[in-house]
Formats: sequence, structure tokens, C-alpha cells
Amino acid sequence: MFKRALLLGFVSGALAGVASLIYAKVYHDSLGADFSKIATTAGIMITSTAGGLLAAVGYWLLNKWLKGKGEIVFNFVFTILTFVSILGPFAAKLPLDVEAPELFPGLTVPMHFFPALAWFTLKPLFIRQQP
Amino acid sequence: MKRVIFSFATLLAIAAVFAFTAAAQGWQIKTNYNVQFSNPGVSGIFKTLKGDIAFDEKNLGASKFDMNIEVASINTGNGLQNKHAKGSDWFEADKFPLIKFTSSRITKNGNNYLATGTLEMHGQKKEIGIPFTFAQKGNEGTFAGAFTVNRNDFKIGKPGGDVDDMVKIELSVPVTKK
Repeated sequence: MFKRALLLGFVSGALAGVASLIYAKVYHDSLGADFSKIATTAGIMITSTAGGLLAAVGYWLLNKWLKGKGEIVFNFVFTILTFVSILGPFAAKLPLDVEAPELFPGLTVPMHFFPALAWFTLKPLFIRQQP
Repeated sequence: MKRVIFSFATLLAIAAVFAFTAAAQGWQIKTNYNVQFSNPGVSGIFKTLKGDIAFDEKNLGASKFDMNIEVASINTGNGLQNKHAKGSDWFEADKFPLIKFTSSRITKNGNNYLATGTLEMHGQKKEIGIPFTFAQKGNEGTFAGAFTVNRNDFKIGKPGGDVDDMVKIELSVPVTKK
């Protein structure tokens, strides 16, 4: 169970990172806003993968402690934490030489949803629901 | 002969008048200037500074600063803060788009100078003194100064709160001779 959860966390986190990089490229091409010095490729991949792995540990712990209710509690906690995390980009203070800081949340807020989205999409492939 | 002497005397008099009322050297502001503000609650820069500078260390009487800062160019590093700063609670950038400083006299104090003049912000005018230094190297130079203003004197924001009343402003303005 733990290994499968960890694998799911790693794969969904990495895919969320790739989706974030694609989104960053589209954002940059369409709006011209360049935040590549702040949201670096390595930073996006590491944060997304770490988020996925952390979710895996949380999923395993909650299922261990709460047995049958672990799944639903995990889903709620993961979704709530994802929403709360969007406060970060709004509160971020960027270096003063970065142009148009008001466009920064538009880049990073959607990225915060990608790990949860990838997790919920891929989960049936890694962990089968108990009948 | 009398006519020649009279002409010379007239030319001399005109030259003397021009020598005493000669305008100070004009300076062009380079693009890598820095206008920074800070206090424990907020800090940032103004990205757009324009103005006319006439400054001659040997002719301070004819020296003058006439500077404008675009309020809308404020950058605190945070988009929400920028919007808030330009809004009705603080600078009201739509109504008062410029911060202006016009010097009335410049005096020397040791190696430093003091530009006394009127600072206009948010529609409020106040006489202030800005201490500054000037480092010249050939046809280029840099004005550097720092001073503190009380934002309540200019009715910017409400007194108290998260942002301290006293705001430190630091300027570094590289220039070239016109």
C-alpha cells in the first residue's frame, strides 16, 4: 500500500510539474510576463514532486489511522490544503526588478491545483478502491 | 576712437552681466537611477523619474532641481500591494499622478549639499530639505541623497496601522552633462 501510494505521489507530482511547465510556457507566450527567474524549471519540478510525495505519505497515514474513512478525509484535506496554498502567490513579494508582479498569481495559482488534479486522475490506476 | 572705447565698454559690461547670471551646468538623468522607499511595513521603488537638473558646485545660486516621479510606477514587489498603493486609500494615482520636488535654494555643508524646496505629494505641498552628495567623474556624475517624510503630512494613508508614519526615501541619480 505504502509503495503504491508513494509511486502514485511521485508520478502524479512529476506529471503536475510537466503540466506546470507547459502552462508557464503558454502563459509567457500569451502575456509576455517572464517569471522564469522566480519560478524556475527545477523549482517547479521539485516542488510538484515533493507535493505528490507528501500527499502519498498523508494518504498512507490517514488510511492507516482512520481505516475506511481515511480516503474521504484525505480527499477533503488535500483539496482544502490546495485551496489554502493559493494564498502564497498572492502574498509573495517579488524582487523589485521583476516587471508586472500583479501577473504572478495568474501564473502560479493554477499550478497549485495540478498536483491534486493529477493525483485524483491517476489514483484509480495505482490504488483500487476496496469493494 | 571714443566710439571704439564705448563699444568695448559695452561689450565688457554685457560679458560681466552674463558672467554673474550664467546658468548652471545642465545634467541629463541616465536610465539606471534608483528611487527607493522603505519603512518596517512596506518598501519598494518608483520606476519612473523625470526632471531638469541644473547644478554647478561653484554656482549653487543658479543650481536648481525640478523633479517628477510617476506615482503609477510604484513597485513594492507585490501586485496587490501595488494596486492598493495606487488606490484611493493611499496615493490616489489617478487624481495625483506625480510627486514633484522643486528646489528653491541649494546650500553647501562640508562635503554635502542641501536642496531646500517644495515637495508635492497627494496634492499636499510641504517645504523640505534633501541632503545629498554629488560625485563627478568627467562628464558624468551621481547625485545621492536620503531623507525621511511623514506620510501624514501629505495625507497618504491613515495615521498608524501596519505602515509606519515615517518613510525613508533614498535616491541615486546618475547623470551626464547636457
